[in-house]
Amino acid sequence: MTETDDYEHYEAVVVGCGPGGAAAAAALANNDVETLVLERGVDAGSKNVSGGLVYAEESSPYTIDDLFPDFREEATERPTTENYIHNVAGDQVASFDISSLHHHDSEWSDAVLRRKMDSWLAERVHEMTRETGGGLLTEVRVNGLLRENGEIVGVTTSELDPIKADLVVAADGVNSELARDAGLMDWEDPDEWFQGVKAVVEMDPEDINERFGIEEGEGHAHLFSGDLFDGVRGGGFLYTNEDSLSIGTVFHLDSLTEEEAEPHELLDNLLTHPLLAQWLGDDYEELEYSAKLVPDSKKAAHPSPHQDRLVLVGDAAGQMQAQGPIIKGMNHAVTAGALAAEAFVDAKARNDPHAAGDLYEQKLRDEGVMEKLRPRSYRTLGKLAEADPISKVTDAVADSAIGRAGVNLLGPGILERLFSSPRMMAVMPDTRTPYVTIPTIIAEELGERVDADNTVEPPELDDRIGDLTYDVGDPHIELVDNSFEASGTAVTACPVSAKDFGGGCYRDEHVKTNGSEEHLVSLDTQPCVECGTCAVVADTHWEHPDGGKGVEYKQG
Amino acid sequence: MVDIDPTEHEIAELGPEVNQIDDVDELEAMLALEEDGEDRQPVKTLIESRIETLEADDEAVDPETVDLTDLTIADIANLVRDVDDVDVLEDMLEREAGGNDRKGAKEQIENRIDSLEGSGDEEPTEVEYVPPEEKYPDLDHPTADKQYVEGVSGERYRDMWVYCETQQGELIDVAKEMLGKARELMDEYNSDSDAEGAYGGDEDGEPEDVVAVVIGSDVEDLAEEAVAYGADRVVYHDDERLERFRHKPYTEIYAHMCRDFEADWRDYHEPRYNVFPATNNGRDLSALVQGELDSGLASDCSDLYIENAMISNPAKTGTPGDSREFERVLHMPRPDFSGFEYSTILCIDKPHRDFHPQGASVIPGAFDLPEPNHDREGELVEHDLDLPEEWFQIEILEADQLDEGVDLTGNDVVVALGRGIGDDPTAGIELGVDLVDQFENADLGFSRGVLTASYQFAGHVEQYVNMERQIGESGQVVEPEVYIAAGISGAIQHKVGMDESETIIAINDDPDADIRDFSDYFIQGDLFEVLPRLTEAVEAGELSAVAQEASDD
Repeated sequence: MTETDDYEHYEAVVVGCGPGGAAAAAALANNDVETLVLERGVDAGSKNVSGGLVYAEESSPYTIDDLFPDFREEATERPTTENYIHNVAGDQVASFDISSLHHHDSEWSDAVLRRKMDSWLAERVHEMTRETGGGLLTEVRVNGLLRENGEIVGVTTSELDPIKADLVVAADGVNSELARDAGLMDWEDPDEWFQGVKAVVEMDPEDINERFGIEEGEGHAHLFSGDLFDGVRGGGFLYTNEDSLSIGTVFHLDSLTEEEAEPHELLDNLLTHPLLAQWLGDDYEELEYSAKLVPDSKKAAHPSPHQDRLVLVGDAAGQMQAQGPIIKGMNHAVTAGALAAEAFVDAKARNDPHAAGDLYEQKLRDEGVMEKLRPRSYRTLGKLAEADPISKVTDAVADSAIGRAGVNLLGPGILERLFSSPRMMAVMPDTRTPYVTIPTIIAEELGERVDADNTVEPPELDDRIGDLTYDVGDPHIELVDNSFEASGTAVTACPVSAKDFGGGCYRDEHVKTNGSEEHLVSLDTQPCVECGTCAVVADTHWEHPDGGKGVEYKQG
Repeated sequence: MVDIDPTEHEIAELGPEVNQIDDVDELEAMLALEEDGEDRQPVKTLIESRIETLEADDEAVDPETVDLTDLTIADIANLVRDVDDVDVLEDMLEREAGGNDRKGAKEQIENRIDSLEGSGDEEPTEVEYVPPEEKYPDLDHPTADKQYVEGVSGERYRDMWVYCETQQGELIDVAKEMLGKARELMDEYNSDSDAEGAYGGDEDGEPEDVVAVVIGSDVEDLAEEAVAYGADRVVYHDDERLERFRHKPYTEIYAHMCRDFEADWRDYHEPRYNVFPATNNGRDLSALVQGELDSGLASDCSDLYIENAMISNPAKTGTPGDSREFERVLHMPRPDFSGFEYSTILCIDKPHRDFHPQGASVIPGAFDLPEPNHDREGELVEHDLDLPEEWFQIEILEADQLDEGVDLTGNDVVVALGRGIGDDPTAGIELGVDLVDQFENADLGFSRGVLTASYQFAGHVEQYVNMERQIGESGQVVEPEVYIAAGISGAIQHKVGMDESETIIAINDDPDADIRDFSDYFIQGDLFEVLPRLTEAVEAGELSAVAQEASDD
């Protein structure tokens, strides 16, 4: 007898009720596995942000509407019927229709707002898991792994007694505390991450239809790249929802920190670009400002995302595919969640439930998920092109007369096809070349001037923060080293902080003591949106707030 | 003649009709009509079965003569239930023994005899009391050797007792609140009104009292005060060793007062009701005392009322299927699940074991603080008990009083400093304090940004830099006559803490600072220059003139 024998036991505990956790729980429940789902938000989706497109891939063994019938009717916004990419240089814009790239292997793709989507999923999950003797509990934060003789046997929480399980599914998102507790993920390298910020903009459905030239039941997805982001590697997006737009920007975190760029200002660059005037009109009303860290699966997707009884699913395992204009995360989380469940059921049938992790890893490979997340072609070609001297040469070549002539020679038709080639996109290196240099040249050479007058005045950062809903609990982030040298990057990189802005999380301060002056950083977690950026770029001890505390997104 | 000719009706209609007829002759006539007419078998069965039922009722079995060998054990069980004469039962027992001699049948008769002999004139109960130790000899009975698990029944209980906690030599507010409520409850209890909680006094019509309990050192004055707040009688124990709350002596004293204390007015077994405050000490004491008195406790109650309660739980009524009305029950509503639900707790006697005093602890602030009436009269009773040294084995070596905290509300003037002091935080606070000192009723506050900063402050101003001085959403909300905000930009989180102020004067070097939108006067400038000038102006009595001059509003 050990004392842990007294703890409550479930066959499976699923941590987090986003799409990955929901899919795992649904697939487990479908197989009569007693499943408990723990969600730290006041409601599923209240902590979750995504750019906003969920895909169903033809090649995938599971799609979200397989597991949750009526998903598209009940939980999504508009389907994407047209896709464009805009290459921007100043007010010159070259736009390409890349619908074929997005329709490649896509059964469908819909825009979503995560609060609505995830809370709908959570209700289904609760109904399904309750049948198995489990259910969904919100406002419970799982804060670590329960170990017995060094082996993972369950989870610990801030609100409840520890819980034992034969399977622990960590679907606790990009800042997964379980993945870090197990040593499977870390926050070390900025180049493994993207940071996205997003504004949800209120808009009458009639206005959306008119401004985008679409009907009810149709929707647009626009991507933006080029020189409108001050040289920071990344791009922008705009998706149409039922009665709002999701407009955001996603940047490589290493580039964001190198350039000391302010994410909210880069978002404003997009919002105020003349190109967007046609869609935003004169009545800009921002409903919500949000931010999220995004793993770059090419580098961060864990090839073996399991340990003992623990399996990682979705963002927690780095399963977020971002290759050029292809940004797919939720569908992979769904597939992974369902495969993890499948693996557990198989393992149980073989009378060895604790072998689920190995089976899960095998299924991720056999079903082609791993190849999508970490394409072999990128590992050879893309990585090579990222080596600094080579990328400089590529950059220079593209920008030379020869490169320019090439762009002109290729012409818009071929470029459009190139952008539309999934193979090309998977190879694309993470350098300035594809994100900034080439789109800028394309726009300069092939673009047309946009002379519309954009009247949008995005809210100031303090108003964006003021509009978010928080329940300030105890500080959940501890600044371990408050010297500017160690943690100063957070002042600009944090999406709710800025230089010379005293109302954010991170503020830089010159403190005079005994005649000498120190350059320090101070932290107030009150406006924290829990994106995790500072965990990577600053020296912190980072945890999530306890269940029900912290930021609450209404849109997500 | 019959009222209903069955041949004229469908069988579905006949069912209810037939079952209302009590006259066997009429039924026989109907049966004849049916046989002559339609002659439907189901209808005949219906009528015949009704006739059978009526005849069965008539031929009541006489237990004195019936042949027991004709009866099943169940028949016998039904039969003996109506027999009240033990002699008849004894006779039946003999007959059964001489006849079939069924063990089950004899048990039924014996049980009935036991129940009649045991319960005297009382209503017979079907569930016989067997002490748990005998009923379940294989189980542990942890309370079996507890002196005061008494299992008494039919004892006398009176009065509402209120534990009046003291702190720093004063009655705490919740004690007064409880006395006020107890007074209200017992006044109604003793009245003859039609209200549900009115009983016209105890079972003999004598009024019951509010008894306050005060335990501590030098508490006689507090006992007087308890009378002013509504007590009829105050039992107090004074001992300098009782200066601070300690579990053992406080529990022993309180329990002794309730149970063993001999006084001519206390001619009852234990109090009827015990009410404690749900403070830290009150929660401890209430649980210990109610446990010691072998009763129950509803903790953290938000209301109290006295009413009758209809109870059907057989553990309480003693008879499955029956409901019984319990009188004078203290109803104790309390929040569950952080207030999502309320439960009303009742503490009710059960057969062979009383649950008195009915005990509650009450959340501070649940009842209104009453006005004291110093002309009220009441009896003070000093409790007399030697306190053995072993009750004081726990010694209090040191005690510390927590700071009361800073209350910025209620000031005429609040000077609030923001991150504008960042260039020289110590000087900024000095300037703020200088200005505060110009007013009689003023204090210093901060925006959250200052309190979470890494600023270093010199020792003499550090005392001010305290989260308790935070103004805003996560701090205090103030509404002074004059709010002076220096170096505060006016984020929404700060605004909610101060925008109800009568007059808002803002000092900021940024002309676009948000605070300008909700200030009455906006002084654009460096607070390190403006604050000293404001201080001078106030000193000279020219504040409004300076503000007017500097303001561009």
